[in-house]
Amino acid sequence: MSGSGIPTWEEVARDHGRFLYTVAYRLTGNSDDAQDLVQEVLLKVRRGLETYVPGSLEGWLSRITTNTFLDDTRRQRRRPVDLLPEDPDRVVPPSPGADVALAAEALPDHIQDALRALPTEYRAAIIMCDVVGLSYQEIGDALDVPVGTVRSRIHRGRALLRKALA
Amino acid sequence: MSRFGTDGGFAGHLGDALSALLDGELPAAQAEGARDHLAVCPDCTRELAAVDQARTWVRTLPPVDPPFGFYERMLLDRQPVLRGALGDRATLRRRAGVAAFGAAAAAVTVLGIGSPSPRPVSPSVPRLVEAHATSASVGADLLSKLAPVGVPVSFGR
Repeated sequence: MSGSGIPTWEEVARDHGRFLYTVAYRLTGNSDDAQDLVQEVLLKVRRGLETYVPGSLEGWLSRITTNTFLDDTRRQRRRPVDLLPEDPDRVVPPSPGADVALAAEALPDHIQDALRALPTEYRAAIIMCDVVGLSYQEIGDALDVPVGTVRSRIHRGRALLRKALA
Repeated sequence: MSRFGTDGGFAGHLGDALSALLDGELPAAQAEGARDHLAVCPDCTRELAAVDQARTWVRTLPPVDPPFGFYERMLLDRQPVLRGALGDRATLRRRAGVAAFGAAAAAVTVLGIGSPSPRPVSPSVPRLVEAHATSASVGADLLSKLAPVGVPVSFGR
């Protein structure tokens, strides 16, 4: 880290890469989308480092990651669905790489699947709370919603998770 | 939705205050009122156990490692690959071949440095990497991606 307390882009990728990828994977639920999300986030991080105020770097990273994910999700909702996909990958998905296969074998997939099935707003609030460890106030600030809304989303999300995995 | 009064007491069931209680997000008076209610309400006690279970499941999920070489590829490039600029999610899969080739090229470089009489390589390693990046196909395995590289290589003596 430089003397100013502001990390370089390389330090963010090296020292917080695993954390960043974990948050992205939990939000998106699959390796391809997680990689895309991390790349998008790192681009924003690179642009935003000049204005970064030293503090909780992982909190800052998780806020960027979650908001980028939610923006992407909203954008996709607005995009019309292709009736006839031209990309063969979308008809016959490619077989997963060795890293994906290993991750799937090592992780409790049923929990990840249930997380992915949650409404995105619930999922984002739960991950910011239970994976990142942010307070309700910090989550509310990051998502620009009242604390009461955060509390409601977290509770409803947990209730849905419990029902899905019962 | 729970309905706490100013004294921490409330009407009805605890609802989302249960998650707030688990997360330490209730003010002290409300937390005390919630515990009093739990002592006499089996419905809220069951719901508390259910959301606590879900909370524990998520909190105990292990960290996830990115694919091998993911960040190294970006550091090698010195800039993140832009999804918008280079296409779509296939970008990373396409560049996986570059990473594998880059690792091989790095190994060759290290071996070259360690030998007693380094020899010039033509074309240069960066050029080889760049050439492969433009020729690697999408969707094939890593080894087959290396095959189509048609750059003549010579090791000068």
